[in-house]
Amino acid sequence: MTLWLAFSLMTAAAIFAVVWPLSRGARGRDVDTTEIYRDQLGEIGRDLAMHRIGEAEAHAARVEVSRRLLAAADAQQESTLQPGAALRHRRIAALAALVLLPLIAGGIYLLLGSPNMPGAPLAARLAVPPEQRSLASLVSQAEAHVERNAGDGRGWEVLAPVYLRMGRFDDAVRARKNALALNGETADRRADLGEALVAAGNGIVSVEAKAAFDGALALNPKHEKARFFIGLALQQDGRKAEAARTWQTLLDEAPPDAPWAATVRQALAELAVPAGSSSGPSAEDVAAASKLREGERNEMVRGMVARLAARMKDEPGDLDGWLRLIRAYTVLGEREQARAAAADARRALGNDRDKAQRIDDLVKALGLS
Amino acid sequence: MIAELGHYALVLALGLSLIQGVAPLIGARRGDAALMQLGSSTALMQFVFAAASFAALVACYLMSDFSVANVFQNSNSQMPVIYKFTSAWGNHEGSMLLWVLILALFGALVAGFGSNLPATLKADVLAVQAWIGAAFYLFILFTSNPFLRIAEPPFEGRDLNPILQDFGLAVHPPLLYLGYVGCSIAFSFAAAALIEGRIDAAWARYVRPWTLGAWMALTVGIAMGSYWAYYELGWGGWWFWDPVENASLMPWLAATALLHSAVVMEKRDALKIWTLLLAILAFSLSLLGTFLVRSGVLTSVHTFASDPTRGVFILAILVIFIGGSLALFAWRAPALTQGGLFAPVSREGALLLNNLFLASACATVFVGTLYPLALEALTGDKISVGAPFFVLTFAPLFVPLLLAMPFGPLLAWKRGDAYGAAQRLLAAAAVGVMAVVIVLIAEGGSVSLAPFGIGLALFVMGGAVTDLAERTGVVRIPFAAARARAAGLPRSAWGTALAHFGVGVTLLGIVAETHWNAERIVSLKPSQAVTLRHYELTFEDVVARQGPNYREQVARFAVRRDGQVLATLEPSKRSFATRGMTTTEAALLTRGVSQLYVSLGDTAADGALVVRIYHKPLVLLIWLGALVMALGGALSLSDRRLRIGAPKPAAKSTLAPAE
Amino acid sequence: MTRKQRRLVLIGAALGVLGLALALVLGALRDSIVFFQSPTDVAEGKVAPDKRLRLGGLVKDGSVKRNDLLIEFAVTDGNKDVPVSYRGIVPDLFREGQGVVVEGKLGAGGQFVADTVLAKHDENYMPREVADALKKSGRWKEGEGGKK
Repeated sequence: MTLWLAFSLMTAAAIFAVVWPLSRGARGRDVDTTEIYRDQLGEIGRDLAMHRIGEAEAHAARVEVSRRLLAAADAQQESTLQPGAALRHRRIAALAALVLLPLIAGGIYLLLGSPNMPGAPLAARLAVPPEQRSLASLVSQAEAHVERNAGDGRGWEVLAPVYLRMGRFDDAVRARKNALALNGETADRRADLGEALVAAGNGIVSVEAKAAFDGALALNPKHEKARFFIGLALQQDGRKAEAARTWQTLLDEAPPDAPWAATVRQALAELAVPAGSSSGPSAEDVAAASKLREGERNEMVRGMVARLAARMKDEPGDLDGWLRLIRAYTVLGEREQARAAAADARRALGNDRDKAQRIDDLVKALGLS
Repeated sequence: MIAELGHYALVLALGLSLIQGVAPLIGARRGDAALMQLGSSTALMQFVFAAASFAALVACYLMSDFSVANVFQNSNSQMPVIYKFTSAWGNHEGSMLLWVLILALFGALVAGFGSNLPATLKADVLAVQAWIGAAFYLFILFTSNPFLRIAEPPFEGRDLNPILQDFGLAVHPPLLYLGYVGCSIAFSFAAAALIEGRIDAAWARYVRPWTLGAWMALTVGIAMGSYWAYYELGWGGWWFWDPVENASLMPWLAATALLHSAVVMEKRDALKIWTLLLAILAFSLSLLGTFLVRSGVLTSVHTFASDPTRGVFILAILVIFIGGSLALFAWRAPALTQGGLFAPVSREGALLLNNLFLASACATVFVGTLYPLALEALTGDKISVGAPFFVLTFAPLFVPLLLAMPFGPLLAWKRGDAYGAAQRLLAAAAVGVMAVVIVLIAEGGSVSLAPFGIGLALFVMGGAVTDLAERTGVVRIPFAAARARAAGLPRSAWGTALAHFGVGVTLLGIVAETHWNAERIVSLKPSQAVTLRHYELTFEDVVARQGPNYREQVARFAVRRDGQVLATLEPSKRSFATRGMTTTEAALLTRGVSQLYVSLGDTAADGALVVRIYHKPLVLLIWLGALVMALGGALSLSDRRLRIGAPKPAAKSTLAPAE
Repeated sequence: MTRKQRRLVLIGAALGVLGLALALVLGALRDSIVFFQSPTDVAEGKVAPDKRLRLGGLVKDGSVKRNDLLIEFAVTDGNKDVPVSYRGIVPDLFREGQGVVVEGKLGAGGQFVADTVLAKHDENYMPREVADALKKSGRWKEGEGGKK
């Protein structure tokens, strides 16, 4: 309401600027153009007095300037102003101001503006009590803290797992790297970096990630997490037997109540090489395992998608996030959700034609439309 | 809410500019004072709204309102306040808003201070100015709107490009825009004169202060930009003949030519066609510069955002305004009366020669900047035209110009005495020749152009001093009399001499920096030292520091001369987390007008640091000279005579003041 | 001097200066322009050695080797690579996988000896020449980058 009031006041001010001179019937004396030539004549006189020009030049110059002065005086006589003339034009102008100005301004503004959207200054948004705030705002505060206190490696260590959980894998990598640089090398930190890298690489143990795990093992040859991922790397390289051996050793050396033992056993099972057995798996085993894997994988994917969807609420400007989300829903077979996400994305990115186009392209490519 | 108010203010400014573009024009044709007056009131109100709009955008930046897409994309809540402020114009949309704000400012200035202008001329000028304004308001609203919103605002912005997070950015674009947009006033005056069909000496007098103001802003703006590139980019260079730099140089050359030809028009009623053409040209080149920078058709180290649709829009504006003004010109040119006559050797002749060289130099820059584009369109070959091209074409055109420059002010109007002028320049020439000889000897007779460059620079400076000495007669008549004459000398005469002196100063800086620049790139470990000229730099250590939104690795160097520690230089590398970008901050040690310049490269695995060190003799003169030129302009601008014609409340009879 | 003569002198001076400018421009254009080539052009031997040229592409992943002041890397358009050596300091935005434009000459043995390395001021911005070169080799997808 205040907004519309302000708009109408502004419009009134604009109209006033048009109507005011019309109503005043401004007249006033026009400028005397001959004055410039008078000044030039004066200057010739000064130059002559200072001997900067000779008598003959001064005379010639005076003649020339005088001629211009007369011409200017003639022109002036012709173009005297008519203060009272042409009332009709003024009426048209006033009418234009009264009608066209609000029409044009209002029309264009309604086309482009977002009058219903309140402002969102950051300070006001951060003043909301913490328990009502979204995870994203807390993270952004933590980030601000870390940015200001560069030497504080602990901040990065706190942030890294949060990033990982939010699906911001690249940020997680950065946080892990900073923690490593600031707090010094330990096997744990190296392995954590590797883990973040794997997450960022969609589960692939890249060369860089492998280097991180190797680094961890160099510091502590018994480091469990590093050994687990080294096994994963072997598996992804197709060296299944070696992967199985690595994981088996890990299991054998594990304390009985190790919380991660289940994961390793699971991985071993997924290798489709039954733990402890040297004989090949039967066809049924493989089928069962792969079925199991299918279900589990979907479970995992669903969790990730849910996190991504939550994140997109906080960061609606992230095009890549939207694309990933739409794709993910489609992969899960939830086409309705995918369509809904695409609609959300278009709304959030509405102002950016290029990005909206990308969304539309994807929707078309996935056959959602 | 603030963003929406700003958005609406912008739309209202567009509406006002549409009325301002039509009503005063009709008023001027019908002799209706009220309709003409309407031009002034709408121009002032339009400025108020443009300013409100810009203020709203700045407010959104200061409050980190990330619901505004522009703020989200170009700032960050962690930025220092000063950069939050400057990021408002550190991006395409915001800088275009600044552009129209300055355009509206000039309109308002004409409305407010143009009381010495005839009513019809003023009305026409304001109308033309309003058309330009309307075109750019439309451009902003429909292709580059800074007030678009994000439905669910993110919590952190993407930060401003770190290279732009510098104080230079606070000053450089506004100044450059003042210059660019200032050219629009000269254009509006030219178009108005053509519409009126009254093109005379008085017009030249009216337009002069506006051109002068724009020229000063452009001069300082270009110099600022050059200095910014010099210390921020870390390459030690101050001019790269980059398309964006050329885009600012071309209007400067045209505006400089316009300043000079307008003098001829004012004094002798000659060169009218040429002066009008220059006024149109200067603004066209400003528009072209905007087009080049904004459309991204040319690859440039400056391009920070580009979009083809914007390019097409600006191209359309360019075509409409240049085409329209040239059509007006073709319509009116036959009606122009023959102006005063003059001999080839005369003040007019010298100014014409100046114009010829400036225009040719401008043309070569134009060709060099656009040739790659034309060639690619025609043959598909991609080429780059770099510094060698410009040095080969620009320098040979400027040398005769500078040689002739001291003669100009010494020649009389109409018919000059070249021999007499040469005689009076003997002292300046002697200084120049002596400089050549001294430098040649000091250089050990090695063949280079440097001694001649130094000689030329001193000749130019000497010429400016000679001009003043001649006008005051300080060498011929008693000192007291000369002082009285000096007091009576119009300020524009002082301004001319000062500006010409500044040209010499800049040239001196350029020659010295180009020829005696010493550079070393070395790889150093802590406590190792390197010598350059008389300076010994010892790499002490690297410390980490924390800035507001970046982290910084600072390398410390102790600078010694003759064993005495002069200073500690601290060049650094800054890394900005938000964009994952690194910038290099050079460290400068100023000694007199020379500088020692240290910038960092990469750190090797073994802790060795790659360092680039320059010693740049007299380098500061390059920019000081530009400031002196601008100061000369300011002095001229303060000349009483430029305000002549303003209706004075009383005492209108002083025909020839007894000074 | 008559009016006609004066005019002739003026026109003569104007033509003289313009002629000078034209001659300078043509001369400089012949000698000082630099052609832009893609790594494929260079690798296929379309370029004469000892001719200054600009080469644009991406810095190949894993190819950067630093040895004190000497930096060696490969510029690729996804199709062909060209080894480049450069002595000095590379810009801040010089990185593996990033667009780069180098200027210099093709030396013996197919090594490109650069004296200038350009990377852009903005991490999102791809030099247009590089984008074109990549497009030609099919490694560029519209809308993937190049503009913000």
